[in-house]
Amino acid sequence: MKKSTLFLIPLFIFMGIAGFLYQGLFSDPRDRESTLISQPMPEFLLPDLMNTDVQYTQEVFLGKVTLLNVWGVWCVTCAIEIPYLMQLQREGKHIVGLYYDQDIDPDFGVKTVQRVQQEVRDKLAQLGNPYAYNIFDVKRDLSLDLGVSGAPETYLIDQNGTILLHHIGDLNPRVWEKKFAALYQELVKGS
Amino acid sequence: MKLTVIWLAICLSALAYGITEDKFQFEDPEQTKLFLELTKELRCPKCQNQNIADSDAMIAVDLKRKVHQLVQQGNDKEQVVDFMKQRYGDFVYYQPPVNSMTIWLWLIPLLFILGTLTWIVRSRKVPPQQEDSDRLKQAEDILERDE
Repeated sequence: MKKSTLFLIPLFIFMGIAGFLYQGLFSDPRDRESTLISQPMPEFLLPDLMNTDVQYTQEVFLGKVTLLNVWGVWCVTCAIEIPYLMQLQREGKHIVGLYYDQDIDPDFGVKTVQRVQQEVRDKLAQLGNPYAYNIFDVKRDLSLDLGVSGAPETYLIDQNGTILLHHIGDLNPRVWEKKFAALYQELVKGS
Repeated sequence: MKLTVIWLAICLSALAYGITEDKFQFEDPEQTKLFLELTKELRCPKCQNQNIADSDAMIAVDLKRKVHQLVQQGNDKEQVVDFMKQRYGDFVYYQPPVNSMTIWLWLIPLLFILGTLTWIVRSRKVPPQQEDSDRLKQAEDILERDE
């Protein structure tokens, strides 16, 4: 009896390691808890992308369940994501864009706002425009406060301006079902 | 000729180095030191195995700019690290905090060593030989029968 249990020890160690490594196959190193969950939207004062005379603050999110989508025309994944955002928008979801530009453009220097607007117009004419409006994060300060590591990223914000979800990567039907759908339904029902 | 090429290469690389360093300047050498230290210890959230000093990703450049700004405003190291942790989580700093999750990184090896040591010590102990009187008798019987 004693001998046989001793022989089982390596088997159990092996099973433990195998289980640990197997679970590692499905873990995404980029997938980490955002520190902003259940925090209010950080303070900001930023212009509208298309009409820089209009200014937005964090209060713009009050009263509506919003999907805040971080994007840019230079971002390839965003272009793939936009058709799905179009679908969400047709289903009546309120999608706001947080636009930022890569101003580090060694060949051409800093871009003019007009040029950025033209690029955005061209892109959205081609793919459709799912955004109610776009907030222009000129110096990427809001992105930094939101813990954005790169586009695309999406936040779910409730009617009190509280961040409930932060998704890094593109939105697609699978991600929507898995992460957003239940919470979103609950929010909409509550309002 | 070869020497000139080497010299040229050295000068050019020095120049390139100078240019990148020029981007973030401080008047106080202490602040420069702090900035270099921080950019080495803060991790780039996008390119996960690089610190922000090493990385040229846009987010790393943004973080460097923020560190520069915060250091210039007179924040100390802890304040800058806290600022970044608030936004990017513990992940952003290369020194993980000890908490209920990470404590196991230290405890498991210790427990393993202790367990193995006790196991070795215990198995080394030779059990005292108990001469059982029954068996002695048996042996004697056999001997007697042989005779």
